[in-house]
Amino acid sequence: MTTPILEIRNLHVRVEEREILKGVNLVLPAGEVHAIMGRNGSGKSTLSYVLAGKEDYEVTGGEILLNGENILEMEPNERAVAGLFLAFQYPVEVPGVATMTFLKAAINAQRKARGEGEISTPDFMRAVKEAGAQLNIDSEMLKRPLNVGFSGGEKKRAEILQMALLKPTLCVLDETDSGLDIDALQIVSKGVNALRSPERSMLVITHYQRLLNHIVPDVVHVFSDGRVVESGGKDLALQLEAKGYADYEKDVA
Amino acid sequence: MQQTMPVRLSAAETTLVEQLKAAGADAQAERITVAGLPTRRVESYHYTDLRMLLKAVPPLAKAANEASAPALRVPGAFQLMIANGVVQENGTAPAGVIVGKAKGTALTLRDDVLVHLNTAFATESLNLNLDGKVDPVIQIDRRTEGEAAHSASSARIYVGDDSEVTIIETFSGSNQAHMTNHASYIAIGKNAKVTHITVDLSGKDATHFATNEYALGEGAQLRSLVIHAGSKLARSHVFARFAGEGSHADFTGLNLVSDGQHSDITLDVNHAVPNTTSQELYKQIARGRSTAVFQGRIVVSRDAQKTDGKMMMQGLMLSDEAQILSKPELEIYADDVVCGHGSTCGQIDEDSLFYLMSRGISRQDAETMLVRGFLEELIDPIEQDELREALASVIDQWLTGGLH
Repeated sequence: MTTPILEIRNLHVRVEEREILKGVNLVLPAGEVHAIMGRNGSGKSTLSYVLAGKEDYEVTGGEILLNGENILEMEPNERAVAGLFLAFQYPVEVPGVATMTFLKAAINAQRKARGEGEISTPDFMRAVKEAGAQLNIDSEMLKRPLNVGFSGGEKKRAEILQMALLKPTLCVLDETDSGLDIDALQIVSKGVNALRSPERSMLVITHYQRLLNHIVPDVVHVFSDGRVVESGGKDLALQLEAKGYADYEKDVA
Repeated sequence: MQQTMPVRLSAAETTLVEQLKAAGADAQAERITVAGLPTRRVESYHYTDLRMLLKAVPPLAKAANEASAPALRVPGAFQLMIANGVVQENGTAPAGVIVGKAKGTALTLRDDVLVHLNTAFATESLNLNLDGKVDPVIQIDRRTEGEAAHSASSARIYVGDDSEVTIIETFSGSNQAHMTNHASYIAIGKNAKVTHITVDLSGKDATHFATNEYALGEGAQLRSLVIHAGSKLARSHVFARFAGEGSHADFTGLNLVSDGQHSDITLDVNHAVPNTTSQELYKQIARGRSTAVFQGRIVVSRDAQKTDGKMMMQGLMLSDEAQILSKPELEIYADDVVCGHGSTCGQIDEDSLFYLMSRGISRQDAETMLVRGFLEELIDPIEQDELREALASVIDQWLTGGLH
């Protein structure tokens, strides 16, 4: 059996004194797209931050294996270099840092870690232009400081642009549909679907089934109270949409 | 009642008194003998207690007979040099530039000990007359060379009506415990546009004092930028007087302090006539056990109606042991003015840092990008690419481990 891209084993996480993740298990094989659905506060976003390595989260048990390697001790940048990419629910505005400067720095940091030389300026410009065209991102938007003054839709498109340029093996999309109108949702989904490949896996975290009409998952996991409570095919998302999450939260209710 | 009991002089004060007497500045010698150097009780030295911070004063500088490498190269700039207080020969001046020299300092008399010391010890001034649109950046490269020395230097710059000039002054020299005291006087003619930048890049044991005086004529526009990035102890005092209506100035500055350093930028702005505007933006970044000080005072004279002044200090702490101090003051005697001030201080934003790192950028590179971003609004308004890049290189050097 080939090594899955991502394997989460019995992951427990605390924030301050509160346990948020209570034993998450998940296996994401290469080439597959898995959705995680759950209501607000179920720990979905915590999972995405813990995967990316944000501080303030205390992992009290379990493992996260990326391509078979435990990444829990790695810094966020080392995880990125190892192939992990998190598309943020709320991309951070960074005044004073030009978008193009940032994109080039990110690409070069990852190339450097792989022992490759820096990307040439013409190659870089071409790559950004090509990836940007697919996402309706024009050069005017790229001239602005990173995410500063971007609309909600622009921010999400910029996230997918970064994903396209960095070519990760694991894409984690945290509520990528939030704040998007139908047109923007289509553009973003198209961008994401273009990146589906047999070597790349995706973990799509969402509250609504709507996104999964556009990015069709192989497996849907239902998340409740800090763990995966049910897994199934894409029809599971439709059932959830019809019935809500209430059935999974008897303990809470 | 006059105080008659002299204070007990520190080693630095004793040397200064001897040097002042030898230079014939008896009144100043007497003054220091009686009152000593300013302590924190003197308002304009509140956070820079000279009596405590100035441990020793080296012997007066002799003529320089060697030269260290230039501290900052600005490609295409017209270079002028003052070494150990002596104005050096220069190359052919570009169009619109007349270079000369004159005896004595360029500063007007003020009741400030560092001005007095400069007046006593600066034996000659570089004189610059600038007229029209001067294309190359003018660099005044002030050096203190040889053994540890107490050196004073001076430059007087007249900018003619409707002219447009950019001047950068750099301060550096041999890596010794120098004490330098530099003066710049800049008179800006009607509707002239001036960018004036001073950058201290002195050695790690040096003490750097500088006084910048600006006089703005009618419709004049000034951008002033003071950067401290070198000396152990640095203090730049900026005096500006709006003497003509319709004039505007951006006063900006940056203290970059590392372990063991103390840097102070003190600003005194006088809106003396109506309809003048100023914007003050000072930033300070401190790491290790260090101190960065900004004091800003805006005085609006009784007749200076319609004055508009906004003063801001932003600090960035890179260690828990660093101190960033800010003292803004507004003294308003007119009744129809808009003036304000603010100070903020913080650390590197963790969310931004995580965002950049999550894309593969190392912690150090991400921090560097964020600090550069923080400083961008100081550097960005400088028009010449070469100059902006030279200043960015100073900041990058500091960020990646310091200049020393």
